[in-house]
Amino acid sequence: MHLTVRHLAKAYGLRWALKDVSFDLPAGEVVALLGPNGAGKTTLLKLLAGLISPTAGEIVLDGSNFTRGAAVQRSAIGFLAPGEHLYENLTVRENLVFFISLYKKRGAIAQIDATLDEVGLKHRSEEYVAALSSGMKCRLSIAQWKLLEPGLLLLDEPYGVLDGNGIDLLESFLRAQSRKGSVVFIASHHVARVLNLCTRAVILHQGRLTFNEARQQPWDSFNRAFGEFLPHGESWTS
Amino acid sequence: MDFLSQIFLLLRKDLLLELRRRESLLTMFFFGTLLLFVFHFSFDLAPERVAEMAPALLWLAFLFTGTLGLAQLFEAERGNHCLEALLLSPMDRGALFLAKTAFNLILMVLVEIVVIPLFWVLFNLRSWDVIPNLFLVTLLGTVGFCVLGTLLSAVTLKARARELLLPLVLFPLMIPVILGTIRCMETILRAGELGEALPWLRLLIGFDVIFLTVGVLIFDWVIEV
Repeated sequence: MHLTVRHLAKAYGLRWALKDVSFDLPAGEVVALLGPNGAGKTTLLKLLAGLISPTAGEIVLDGSNFTRGAAVQRSAIGFLAPGEHLYENLTVRENLVFFISLYKKRGAIAQIDATLDEVGLKHRSEEYVAALSSGMKCRLSIAQWKLLEPGLLLLDEPYGVLDGNGIDLLESFLRAQSRKGSVVFIASHHVARVLNLCTRAVILHQGRLTFNEARQQPWDSFNRAFGEFLPHGESWTS
Repeated sequence: MDFLSQIFLLLRKDLLLELRRRESLLTMFFFGTLLLFVFHFSFDLAPERVAEMAPALLWLAFLFTGTLGLAQLFEAERGNHCLEALLLSPMDRGALFLAKTAFNLILMVLVEIVVIPLFWVLFNLRSWDVIPNLFLVTLLGTVGFCVLGTLLSAVTLKARARELLLPLVLFPLMIPVILGTIRCMETILRAGELGEALPWLRLLIGFDVIFLTVGVLIFDWVIEV
């Protein structure tokens, strides 16, 4: 998946949530999407997911313009938001079967058991999602996107509810997706963890793209750009 | 997956959730029955007057009961941001509109199957032979209510006080359906057949077809997270 964003902007009423954002990402890129609260990270993720329409600009996926109605392109986009996007009164298995069927990937139904085993949920496959803890729900979301294999995977604060083993599971999944050529976007405030995984960092501030660089060691430019968002008195070294 | 399979998949999910939660159907059923008892104790009508009043009273009950169902229509999707998950998927959004309309229609028809005979029993009406025709007309009116109601339910999804806003927007737009259904029912109760109510029947069918088509075409623009 090759992702290009040109002059993307989104306004809610008179307020610009995102303004003139452009970048170009080749296949396999893992992007850390950083910035303070209200910077426009979630808005950018929702635009990339096609959940909201841009006020201006365009998103190009593998050379084709991405519009909200484009079903083929939507089938290549995944959005992992821990604890969300799951029906509480359906069982773990029913949720997976439902979404696999919606994504027209019925072949993946045969892999449900194996995937649930990988994320440690096989023994709970017949339980309602409402009975799962937040961490377990996040594991179920990981299982869902493992089965659906999106070309563009968007993650909104994935680390908050996962235990150590869950984080290992998530990161090995994201690395595998990157190796397969997927573009992965991770919006998070767990900077050290997400920087350890990413191949590129993007910083948004007040709706504008203020930093966009491939990862390097040492990374002085990032340290300078990100330093201003740290709590007073704290310093940062990537 | 073709369009019909998507509708079936979404409808099956909604019916399964309703079977487990039993919120909408039970609430609608008890409210509809309760309204009939209120009408029964409020109006002391002679049988010939009841036949005149029956269509309006029945449709009052269906409107209020149906509005309760509409208020719950997207409830399963509001929790856990499941609507986002549906809109993110490659599903045709017209299929979501039709599945929600069909789900609401099934609930309302189930309520009507109980409410109409109960009305006949409570008001001691003897003309049981007209009930199949009444069901047919009621079904056409209910389709119109569900189509427009689903569309407006999606429009008001993010509005504050949507439970208040929905009937305020819906009821004025429902006037052609309410009028058409009541006139058809009056004719059936008076003459035993549709006869002179055919223009109203055509209006009902036209309303259903137009709003069903419009709903499928514009639902993508109506619904946004």
